[in-house]
Amino acid sequence: MKDENLLWQIRHFVYQHLADTTMPPSVDVTAARFNLSAEEATDYYKELHNRHAFFLDLESMTIRMANPFSGIPTDFKVHANGKTYYANCAWDMLGIPAALHADAIIEAKFTESNDLVKLEVKNGKVTNPDLLVHFPLAFSRWYDDLVFT
Amino acid sequence: MLLFQSEEWIDKWRQRNNLERGEVLTVQQVWELSKLWYHNRLSMDYHGRSIEQVAEVFRQAGLTSDFWKV
Repeated sequence: MKDENLLWQIRHFVYQHLADTTMPPSVDVTAARFNLSAEEATDYYKELHNRHAFFLDLESMTIRMANPFSGIPTDFKVHANGKTYYANCAWDMLGIPAALHADAIIEAKFTESNDLVKLEVKNGKVTNPDLLVHFPLAFSRWYDDLVFT
Repeated sequence: MLLFQSEEWIDKWRQRNNLERGEVLTVQQVWELSKLWYHNRLSMDYHGRSIEQVAEVFRQAGLTSDFWKV
């Protein structure tokens, strides 16, 4: 039986680690922070994955996505608070400044043309507001395939 | 979710990959949605959302078509 309070503390730690360092903490880092064994920390990671708090690569047991943050480089780079984050998608590139409550410069790549574009979030406003974001799946199917979504 | 310059580029991409059209929002709309969806993601108190809360976020963002039905 997992400690619910500890479970959500771990979720918070993962997000704070991402905000502070731009990368998700490994199982070992989280285990050390909470004085857990690696096996126990892995179980908490799996539970948070099952509850959609973040999305694990189950082979490597690393955090692939903790939306809006990506655990791997992507075509959506977000510069904020003096750091460079990677977003999972065109929605999440705006989700990072929203989550950090910070201004941001976003470097993104258009799909199909592969052209690069720079957007800015400043004082609560976004530049290039007429560019388009395509959502391929209806909300009811978002968890069918998180990487595609 | 992918970023495009225009509807023409979306059509080109869909046809090349034989994909259905989903929903298309402007960056402005996605920014408004992002603020509602992610503003509390770093909070200790954030434990996910109920279906009712998701529906309320979409309603506040003005996303009311069947695509956003929860």
